[in-house]
Amino acid sequence: MRPGYRLLALGAVFIALFSVLTLRLWYLQVTEAATLDQQAENQRIRLVTSPAPRGEIVDRDGVKLAGSRVSLSVVVDRELIDEDSEDEVIQRLAGLLDISAIEVRARFNEARAGSLGSISNDVDADDALYLVDHSEDFPGVRVEAVAVRTYPEGELGAHVIGYIGRPSEQDLETPGVEGADLVGKFGVERSYDVWLRGVPGTTKYRVNAASEILSVVGEEPPRAGGTVQTTTDSELQLALEEALTEGLALARSSQEPWPGACTSENPPEQCAIRASGVVIDPRDGSIVAMGSIPSFDPSIFVGGLTQEEWSVLQDKGAFNNFAIQGSYAPASTFKVVAYSLALEQSMYPQAEEDALALQNHTDDYFCSGRLEFHFQDESQQVFNDWTPAGHGSVDLHEALAASCDLYFWELALRVWRGAEEGIDEGALQDWAEQLGFGSATGIDLPFEQTGLVPDREWFETTQRETPGRVRAEGTWSGGDVMNLVIGQGALTSTPLQLANAYAALVNGGTLWQPRVVSHVINADGEIIFENPAKPLRKLTLDAATVTLLRRDLSLAVNSGSGTARSAFADSRVRSLIGGKTGTAEVIQGDTDATDVDTAWFVGVAPIDDPEYVVAIVIERGGSGGRIAAPTARKVLEKALGLEPGPLVAAEDAD
Amino acid sequence: MDIVVSAPVSRTRHGAIRPDFVLIGSVTALAALGVLMIFSASVGNVADLGLGSSPDAQRQLVFILAGAVVFAAASLVEERPMRLAAPIAYLAVVALLLLVLTPLGTEVRGAQRWLQLGSFQLQPSELAKPALILALAALLGSDPDEQLPWRRIVQTMAVLLPLAALVAVQPDLGTSIVFLFVTPILLFLAGASLRQLGGILLAGAAGLLVAMQTGFFAFKDYQIARLTAFLDPAADQLTLNYNQLQSKLTIGSGGLFGKGLFEGDQTNLSFVPHQTTDFIFTAVGEQLGFLGAAIVIGLFAVIVWRLLMIAATANSRFGRLFAAGVAGLIAFHVFVNIGMTVGMLPVTGLPLPFMSQGGSSVIAMMAAVGLAHSFRIHRSPVPGERRLL
Repeated sequence: MRPGYRLLALGAVFIALFSVLTLRLWYLQVTEAATLDQQAENQRIRLVTSPAPRGEIVDRDGVKLAGSRVSLSVVVDRELIDEDSEDEVIQRLAGLLDISAIEVRARFNEARAGSLGSISNDVDADDALYLVDHSEDFPGVRVEAVAVRTYPEGELGAHVIGYIGRPSEQDLETPGVEGADLVGKFGVERSYDVWLRGVPGTTKYRVNAASEILSVVGEEPPRAGGTVQTTTDSELQLALEEALTEGLALARSSQEPWPGACTSENPPEQCAIRASGVVIDPRDGSIVAMGSIPSFDPSIFVGGLTQEEWSVLQDKGAFNNFAIQGSYAPASTFKVVAYSLALEQSMYPQAEEDALALQNHTDDYFCSGRLEFHFQDESQQVFNDWTPAGHGSVDLHEALAASCDLYFWELALRVWRGAEEGIDEGALQDWAEQLGFGSATGIDLPFEQTGLVPDREWFETTQRETPGRVRAEGTWSGGDVMNLVIGQGALTSTPLQLANAYAALVNGGTLWQPRVVSHVINADGEIIFENPAKPLRKLTLDAATVTLLRRDLSLAVNSGSGTARSAFADSRVRSLIGGKTGTAEVIQGDTDATDVDTAWFVGVAPIDDPEYVVAIVIERGGSGGRIAAPTARKVLEKALGLEPGPLVAAEDAD
Repeated sequence: MDIVVSAPVSRTRHGAIRPDFVLIGSVTALAALGVLMIFSASVGNVADLGLGSSPDAQRQLVFILAGAVVFAAASLVEERPMRLAAPIAYLAVVALLLLVLTPLGTEVRGAQRWLQLGSFQLQPSELAKPALILALAALLGSDPDEQLPWRRIVQTMAVLLPLAALVAVQPDLGTSIVFLFVTPILLFLAGASLRQLGGILLAGAAGLLVAMQTGFFAFKDYQIARLTAFLDPAADQLTLNYNQLQSKLTIGSGGLFGKGLFEGDQTNLSFVPHQTTDFIFTAVGEQLGFLGAAIVIGLFAVIVWRLLMIAATANSRFGRLFAAGVAGLIAFHVFVNIGMTVGMLPVTGLPLPFMSQGGSSVIAMMAAVGLAHSFRIHRSPVPGERRLL
C-alpha cells in the first residue's frame, strides 16, 4: 500500500470513531434526553414527609375514646459530640432528666454509629424546653416530638375502638401507607383507618451532590385525620361491660371447685370462659354498646408489649370481639324465628300423630317432657324438654314465654312433613336467613363472623368434604330440623345477628344494617363522611305478629311461667321489659363432658315501643334464666334510666 | 511519493509557509472553551462571580498561554534539529519516569504519577506520549517507503517497551493503552504488511500473557472491578458506576441545545466527579447540548484532518510519520475520553486534549501539535502557495 493510501485508511478509521461518538451523543442528547433529564432532576429533589396527626374517635355525646398527644423524647447523635465533652454532656443530661449518669452512659453506648440513640421517651415539656434553650450545653442532643395514641377511657369499649400498630404486608398495599406509619389493626381504628389517618405533608427540597439542602421547592402541609363519631353511649357501654364482668364472675363462683379455680392458668372444663353482649337500637340499627369480656386496654399497644404479655391476653381471647366473632348455638332464643313463621303462615303443630293440626295460635298443645322421633330406618330418638316434667297445656304464646321445646319440635315436624301441603322443607331456614342469620350483617367493624344456618344441602356437602363434623352416615333428617328450631345442632349465630333479628321482629319488620359509626367530621366541624342508617331488607310482617311477639316477650319476663320471671322479679321496670332466655347445650364431641351450657338472654325495652335490644351470651355460663337474664337486666335497667343494683343469680330456667 | 531529503527551507531564501490558521484557530477555540467549561464546573452558582473565583480556571488559562508559547516555539523547530533531539527527549522522559517511581514522586489515590515542582505537578507520562511518537517517527523515518524490515520492528519494540513498562508500573493504564494504539499506527504507516502487523499482535498478546504469568504485570483489582462494573451499568450505581451514570445523565439532560451557559444543574451542583479533568466534556454536553458537543467533536475532527494533511504534504517520511502519529494521538484521546463520558467505554483516565484541566497535558499536546505544525511551516511550498514573508 502506498503511504498515501495508508494515510487515507487511517483517516477513514478516525472518521468512523468520531461518527460513532456523534451517534452515541445523539442517542443520549436527543433520543433519551427526556428520560435522562428526568432522572437527573429526580436525584436533585428530596421528598421529606411530615406525618399527619391521627384523627380522634368520640362517642355519640362527644366523649373522647381515642386521641393523640405529643410525646417529647430526647435523642442523641453521638457523632456530633467530641469525645472529651461526652462525659460532661452525660452529667448534664442525667441531672436534667433525673436519670442516673450510669444509665445515661449506658444509653449512649447503645446508640450505634450512624443512628440516633434514645435517651428518654416522654420527657416533661419544661425539660425539653430547657434542652432547646441551652442547646450549646448539649451538643448532639435533640428533642423529637412524636405523636402518641391515647385511649382516655382505657378498657372501655376496647373492642369497638380497636387499636393501631405497625402495618402488615397486606396493609402496605393500601395507597398512602408507608412502612413507618401506624395503621388501625382492629375495631373502628381499622375500619375507618383511611379517615383517621389523614394525609401526610410533603416538603420538596432541592439538594446538591452532597445531599445538602439548597432550597425548598414545594410544600404541602399535612392534613389531620378526621374525627370519627360512634353511635355508642359510653355510660351504657360501662354498664354493659360491668354487667358482663359481674355475670361472668357470678357464673364462675358457683362452678369452680375452689375459689379462683376458673381464673387460674388451667381452669377446669366447667368454668365459664367469657361473656359478650351488644345493645342495638331497633329503630335504626345503631350500636349503643358492644362488649366482650375478657377485654384489654388498647394503650398497651402504644408502648409495645412483650411477647409474654401478648400471649396471656391472646390465649384468653381478649383480643377477639365475641359479640361479632363468637359463633354460638342460640338455643331457645332462636324460637322467635319459628314463632313468627308460625304466626305469619298460620302454621301450627299437630296435637298428635294423624290428628289435625292446630288451627290457631291460641289452641292448646300438651307440652309433655319428651318426644319420640322415628327415623326412616326405623331407629328412633327421644328428645327431652329442658324441663323433664314438661309445661302442661300451652298455646303458642305460653310455649314461647315458658320456652316449651316440644311445641316447637312439633312445628319443625310440621314443616318437615309439610310437602303435601306445599310447605318447603327449608321454610324455617329461609325465614331465618331473611332475619339475617347465616350471613354477615355488614357492620362497619372488621372480622365479623357469619354464623351458619344448616340445611340439607349443607349437610350433604359437609358429610362429603368434612367428615366428622356431621353424622358419617344417613341423610338430613327431621331430627336435624328439630334441633334447628330450638337453636341447637349445627346452627350458630353471633350475638349481633341475634340482636339484629330481634330488632327486626320487634320494630315491625325492618332488618337494619348495624353500624357503630354515624359520621366523620374534619377540623372545621364539617361532615366529610356520612354513614346513615341503612336497612338490609324489609320483611313482610303482620302488625299483629309484632304486637303478639312483644306481648309474649313481656310475658317471659313478667308472667308466672316466664323463664325470666325470677331474674326480673324485683325490678321496678320489669313491666317495660320483654325478653327470651336460652340455654345452649355444648356437645363436647364424644366424650362425656361436664355440663357446659352456654347462657343466653335477649331483652327488649321499652317493650311497647322498643328503643333497645340487648343480647347477652355467657359462654359456659350455665342456664339463661339463671345467669344471662340477670346480666341483661342490669343493662336494661340502666338503659331505662335506673341505677342498677347488684347482680344476683336467679332461678335456673331455659 | 519519492523521498526527497530537501535542504531545510530557510526563511531568507524562500520564506516560511503560512501557518495553518485553521489548525491554530481550532486549537485556540477548544482551549478557550475548555477554560470556560472549567470555570463553569468549578464554581457553584456562577451568576455573579468573576473569573477570580475559580483558581482552577485561572491556572488552566496560564497553562494555555504557556502552551501557546510552546506551540509557537515548536512550530519554528526545523527537521534536522528535531531528529537530533528525538533520542534526547526520549531519554529525558525515561529519566523523569524513573524519578516518578522514586520517593521523589507524588502519590495520589494509589498511583505514583507526579513530580512536584514548586506549585506545579508535572506528569511525565503526558510528556512521554509526544516523546514516543517523536522517537518512533525518527527511528522509522529514515527507511525508504513501503519497506519495513523486521529489524525495525524489533527496534520499535525496544523503544516502546521501557516506556510502556515504566508507565504501567505507576500504574497508568490509560497511557499504556495510548502507547499500544499509537505504535501500531506508526508501524502501519511505515509500511508494515498485514503479516507483520499480525505477527506483532500475536507477539504482543504473548508478551502480555508472559508478563501476567510471571507476575511482572497484573491488572489491579480496581481496574478489573472497573471493567466488570462497566459491563453492567445497572449495577454499582452508587459506587463504581457512579461517575459514568452521572456523566450520562449530565450529558443527556443537555438535550439538543443545552441548558445554557452556567445553567447546568448537574454541573452547578457538582454531581459529576472529576468534572474539570476527565469529565470536562459533560460540562459541554449539559450546557451546550448536542449542538455544542457536535461542534467540539467537529473542532477535533478539523484538527485531526489538518494534521493528516500536514502528514500528506510533508517533505519527509519522518514528518509524515510524526504528524500522522500526533493525529492518531489526538483522535485516540478524543475517542476514549468522550467515549467514557457517554458510557461507551470504561473509565480510563485519559484527558480531553486542550480542554481537560491539567498543565502537563496541555503543554505536551501543544508541543506535539506545534512540532507537527513545523513540518508544514518548513516544507517546500506547493506551486501557487503563498509564503509568510
